Amino acid sequence: MPALNHYLVLAAILFSLGLTAALTRRNAIMVLIGIELMLNAANLNFIAFWRFRPNPDEMVGIMFVLFSIAIAAAEAAIGLALIISLYRHYRTTDLDQVDALKG
Amino acid sequence: MPFKFFFYLIALFVLYSAYFVVTARNLFRSAMGLLAVLIGIAGMYLLLNAQFLSAVQVVVYIGGIVVLMVFAILLIADVTQKVFEQSPRWRQGLIGAASLLWFSLLAGSMLSYRFGAAAAAVDKSGSIREIGRALLSPAAGGYALPFEVISLLLIAALVGAVTVARADADNGEGKEGKA
Repeated sequence: MPALNHYLVLAAILFSLGLTAALTRRNAIMVLIGIELMLNAANLNFIAFWRFRPNPDEMVGIMFVLFSIAIAAAEAAIGLALIISLYRHYRTTDLDQVDALKG
Repeated sequence: MPFKFFFYLIALFVLYSAYFVVTARNLFRSAMGLLAVLIGIAGMYLLLNAQFLSAVQVVVYIGGIVVLMVFAILLIADVTQKVFEQSPRWRQGLIGAASLLWFSLLAGSMLSYRFGAAAAAVDKSGSIREIGRALLSPAAGGYALPFEVISLLLIAALVGAVTVARADADNGEGKEGKA
C-alpha cells in the first residue's frame, strides 16, 4: 500500500501541470481543461485523506468529492457556454485578443 | 506488492497524459489527453477503495464533461489545423518556473510533514449503501440539505448555460446559432 505522501505528491504534480496549462495556453478551452486538471488533483487529495483517515465511519471526504464533481459539471457547462458565446461575438477564442469587457 | 505496482503504473499513466495535455499543440489531442487523465484518476479512486466515486468519475467527467468539451472544440475550432497559437516564449518560461516553484513548495511541505498515526489506512470502504444513506439522511451527519442545494445549482447552471449560449435573436445572429 503506497503511503499518503505518494498520493499527495502525485496530486501536487497534477495540480502544477494543470496550472501551467491554464496559464500558458491562449485558447479559452485549454484554460478550462487546465482548470479541470487542477480540480481533479484537489479531488484526489480529498480521497487520499479520506482513505487514510483515523475515523473509518466519516464520509466527509467522499461527500466532498461527490459535490465537487457535480459543481465541476456545472462549471464546465457554464464555461463552455460562455466560450461559445464569446466565439460568436469575437470569432476567436484566443484570450489574448479578447480583452474588452464591452464588445 | 501488487498495490504499489498498480499505483506506480497508474501514476505514470496519469502524469504522462497530463504532460501530454499541457504540451500537445492540437486542441483535440489535449482533450483526449484529459480523457486519459480522468481514466487514470478513476483508477486511483479504485486503489483508494472509493469504488462509487470511480464510477461517478467515469460517468460524469468522461461521459459528460469531456464529451461537452469535444463538442465545443468541434464547434468553434478547426481541429485539422496542426499548430495552435502559442504564448510568447518568455511567458511560457516564466509560468513554467512559477509552477515548478509552486510544486516544490507543495511537495516540500507534504513530504516533510509527519502524518503519523492518522495516516494508517483503516480497511473499510465507503460502500454505495452507506453513501446513499448519508446522502439522503436529514439527521445530523447526513447530507440531505447539500444534496438539495446541489440539485438547485445544477438546474440553475443548466438554464444559465442555455441562456448564455443561445444566439441573440435581436442582432441577426439567430440563424447561425445551433447550440
